[in-house]
Amino acid sequence: MRRSAGAAVALPSLSAILAACTRPGETRNPEQVDLLVPRPDRPVTLPMNGEPIPTDAPIESGAELQIFNWVDYVWKATVRRFVEENSEHDISFSAVTTFNNMEEAVSKMQAGEIEADVVFPTIDAVPRLAVAGLLQPLNHELIPNLERNVWSAYQNPYYDQQWRYTVPYTVYTTGISYRRDVISDSQIYGMANPWEILWDPAHRDRVGVYDSYRDTIQTALLKGGITDINTGDQGDLDLARDELLSMLDLVNPRATINGSYKRLPQGEFDVHLSWSGDIAAGWGYVPEYTRDYYENLGYWFPEDRVGPVDNDCIAIPANAPHPRLAHEFINFLLDFQNAMDNFSWVGYQPPMNDAQPALLTQTEGLYSQISGWAEPAEYVLPWMESAVVRQSDFDVGYRQAPLSPESDERWNDVWQQFKTGVKAGE
Amino acid sequence: MTKSTADSRGVGTAVATPQVGRLRSWWSNPWRKPRLLEAVTWGYLAWSILPIVVAVLISFNQGRSNSSIQGLGLNWWWGDPSSSLFHDPELHAAIFQSLRLSIATMAVTVPLGVAFALGLDRWHGRGSGTANFVMLLSFVMPEIVLGVAMFLVVVHVLAFLNLGTIAQVVGLVTYQLSYPVIIVRARLLSIGKEYEEAAMDLGAPPRQAIRRVLLPLLYPAILASFTVVFADSLDDFVTVRYLSGPANSEPLSVKIYNFSRGSPTPAINAAATFLLFATTLVVVLGYLGYRYTQRGERREDMTALTGL
Amino acid sequence: MPARVSKVRRTRAAEQSGVHYPRWFWPAFASPAIAWLLVFFLLPLYAVLSIAFGTVDPIFRTPLPVWQPWWWTTSHVVEGLDKTFGLFQQVYLRTFWYVLLASAICLVLGYAVAYYVARHGGRRKTLLLVLLVSPLWISYLMRMLAWVNLLDREGYVNRILTFLHVVPQPVGWLEGRGITVILGLVYGYIPYMILPLYAFLDRIEGSLLESGRDLGADPLSTFVRVTLPLSRPAILAGLVIVSLPMFGDYFTNTMLSGSPSTTMVGNLIDDSINTAGQGPEAAVRILILMVMLLIPIGYYLRSTARAAQAR
Repeated sequence: MRRSAGAAVALPSLSAILAACTRPGETRNPEQVDLLVPRPDRPVTLPMNGEPIPTDAPIESGAELQIFNWVDYVWKATVRRFVEENSEHDISFSAVTTFNNMEEAVSKMQAGEIEADVVFPTIDAVPRLAVAGLLQPLNHELIPNLERNVWSAYQNPYYDQQWRYTVPYTVYTTGISYRRDVISDSQIYGMANPWEILWDPAHRDRVGVYDSYRDTIQTALLKGGITDINTGDQGDLDLARDELLSMLDLVNPRATINGSYKRLPQGEFDVHLSWSGDIAAGWGYVPEYTRDYYENLGYWFPEDRVGPVDNDCIAIPANAPHPRLAHEFINFLLDFQNAMDNFSWVGYQPPMNDAQPALLTQTEGLYSQISGWAEPAEYVLPWMESAVVRQSDFDVGYRQAPLSPESDERWNDVWQQFKTGVKAGE
Repeated sequence: MTKSTADSRGVGTAVATPQVGRLRSWWSNPWRKPRLLEAVTWGYLAWSILPIVVAVLISFNQGRSNSSIQGLGLNWWWGDPSSSLFHDPELHAAIFQSLRLSIATMAVTVPLGVAFALGLDRWHGRGSGTANFVMLLSFVMPEIVLGVAMFLVVVHVLAFLNLGTIAQVVGLVTYQLSYPVIIVRARLLSIGKEYEEAAMDLGAPPRQAIRRVLLPLLYPAILASFTVVFADSLDDFVTVRYLSGPANSEPLSVKIYNFSRGSPTPAINAAATFLLFATTLVVVLGYLGYRYTQRGERREDMTALTGL
Repeated sequence: MPARVSKVRRTRAAEQSGVHYPRWFWPAFASPAIAWLLVFFLLPLYAVLSIAFGTVDPIFRTPLPVWQPWWWTTSHVVEGLDKTFGLFQQVYLRTFWYVLLASAICLVLGYAVAYYVARHGGRRKTLLLVLLVSPLWISYLMRMLAWVNLLDREGYVNRILTFLHVVPQPVGWLEGRGITVILGLVYGYIPYMILPLYAFLDRIEGSLLESGRDLGADPLSTFVRVTLPLSRPAILAGLVIVSLPMFGDYFTNTMLSGSPSTTMVGNLIDDSINTAGQGPEAAVRILILMVMLLIPIGYYLRSTARAAQAR
């Protein structure tokens, strides 16, 4: 025991050697910070992290495709079709590795704990991942579908000029989903400030927000009339905090991930903060699959389309075991029909030129077609036309952009106060 | 005291007393049947077991719902071509990982713990008290503390471990180590040293005394340790979740949690039911094996099995 | 005086085993496990310290542990303590109340059940024991998920309650209610209360109780005067065993409520561990939780040590 006691004393100094001899956390290039906070009016070109893989690289034979993604954010049937189409290369797929929020994804990738072929980051994570050398540049020749099919804005997005690292996956607006059997369309669309419905005591215990600090705090800002949803201003954030605390008082909200697409259709919520894609997929979770039940679902987004609008991306990690296969998969997902079939299950719309709004609300999707148990459902139910995203939305809408570390800390403070449920006055 | 005498005495007193004194005599009768306690116990058992029965039934749901039965069938076990237990590789991976983790943990923890218990029990040197203290500390520490600490150490110090199966096994072994120690020490206390010393007095060298005499006497405790560690690792969530890496390193418990935050189908119930049957089988086998090693000995058994 | 006694006992024991086994023999048995605990238990705890007293990468916001105590910065710890007594005070108090209530229910209900099985189980004892242990054979998370589905607004619990007219309309059990979380905790942890209580009550000599009864004591006073005082150590051990993990529980709450109004300490920790820039805060919260639990842990360790001595 004496010897082991000695070892215990020796351990810290051993780790001191491991931790190198500089005091950590003090050396960073300030130029990098600018790269990390791109804005639509201040686009960034991310530095190249090596060269893309060569065009003539063969598809890795016998590979198992590894996907690192949010839960329920890609249709397994779509992935399976990809595997079948590439059966000559003997590839396989078993499961998506999921993350609960982007921070978890970034920290696991940074720790080198994840070996994935493709990852689905939000745009605020893209610059960080690229600057940290955790993504690899894309070979554009292997992804011809981007130029062919995708909205022109994404041929050169502001957060990743020349799309060096990312292609867009889906586009969505952030509005409010509601039960039409409780709240009528005219009621919510007739409100002067419909965001206030999330604060309406008439729906106490039946209100949901996302367990995601950016989206929920941004809602409080918008309700309070502040339209800069990337603000770092302490006054703005104090206001958001007060709004959120009063929300706790008034409606006892729950913070969920699946509240809008699953639990509201099931009847657990009257009203929920909602990404348009969540509620578009909501018909797949109603108690009985009839039009009557579908008609209970509604979505509000400002009629002038001035509201939060965003997109998510697909990228290839630097340590991807099968980069060539990853390119193939990305190109596959950017194929019009594949993208639409995936959309029919996921609910999130791909930014495809051919996905006209009229087509979306009038055509039955593949998921509905092949499900024997459900009455037909359009990609987007006709009375939820507001959930369709148009290219022009990005010209007028508010876009989430990465926050500077200082602002981010303020946002997190507000979020903590909300999440601890400490009501005003206590 | 047998049950029949208790009953007859109770009935006898009740009959003999007049109406007014009945209640009092019932109250003060030391042998009356504890109806209230009985009701509480069965009520509790129903409360604790019914959700499990429902969870199992839901796995045979024909419809997609997790909360109401829409006709019975094998849709989620077999029928559904992509999401049923039989056809979904993700669920296979989860079950496989659950079993792999608990078997590996069991294989490492029990030998380590049995040796530790023997050492602690017999070694009266200076460090043994401290070692015992640290062991007990690991026993009572809330799992979230250990899980987060292990996560931090794997990410920042022992990076070669990588999040995933190896880290998970290491975390589980650390968390479970105290179980075999406690179980085996209890057994050591009850068997005493006589047999072993007798063997050595008869000229057996220490190694043989341990192998031929002590270990066989410890078999029941060792078996109990295997069972407890296996069942507990199979069910573990907190440690394993923090230390999980890629999808195929997520065991069923973590999948259930992730699915519950998404959109679970009854297939997840089918997977849990499958594991329930598997565990039951292991526990029953373990118990039979235990009974086998215990031939002729008196019980003490259930206490040892529950590990307390 | 006690020191001398234990010294005497120790030397006698040493003599005894010294006759047969070499001195290094038994420590060698313990050493692999000791090494294991050093590297995988004590080192991680030290890592928590060095992260709590460490810094954060300014760009990636990941924690940077500082291993050398002489370079430790206390800002995160100070801030963490500040929040514990300020912003988070409610959460700590709420957790305390939830755990207290849940443990109390566990004790009362668990004692009744354990007592019945131990004293009145009769021939059905084995069956009862198997039933008592059976919930532990299916995943805790699965049991919670089963409850989520049962307590649904359309779920079976509400259907039965409304059918029996206990409540006029379905109750929103899952709509952020503290009582649901408390009952969830009870449900999850009560087996760990029943089993040690049972093991202890089963060992109390029946004759002891019978003599009380033969002396004319009614069951209640036998219970109050004999059984209850005897089982005090088992009660306290059971309370420690169920309440300590409850303090670190977060998933019961996430699954059964998800409302900020029921946030517990475990949720604070789990939320911060994966939030950018909050690595040190997570570590500080772990430390605070450990310090808070020192009292029950210390009590448990002391009573185990005593019990060991008594043997």
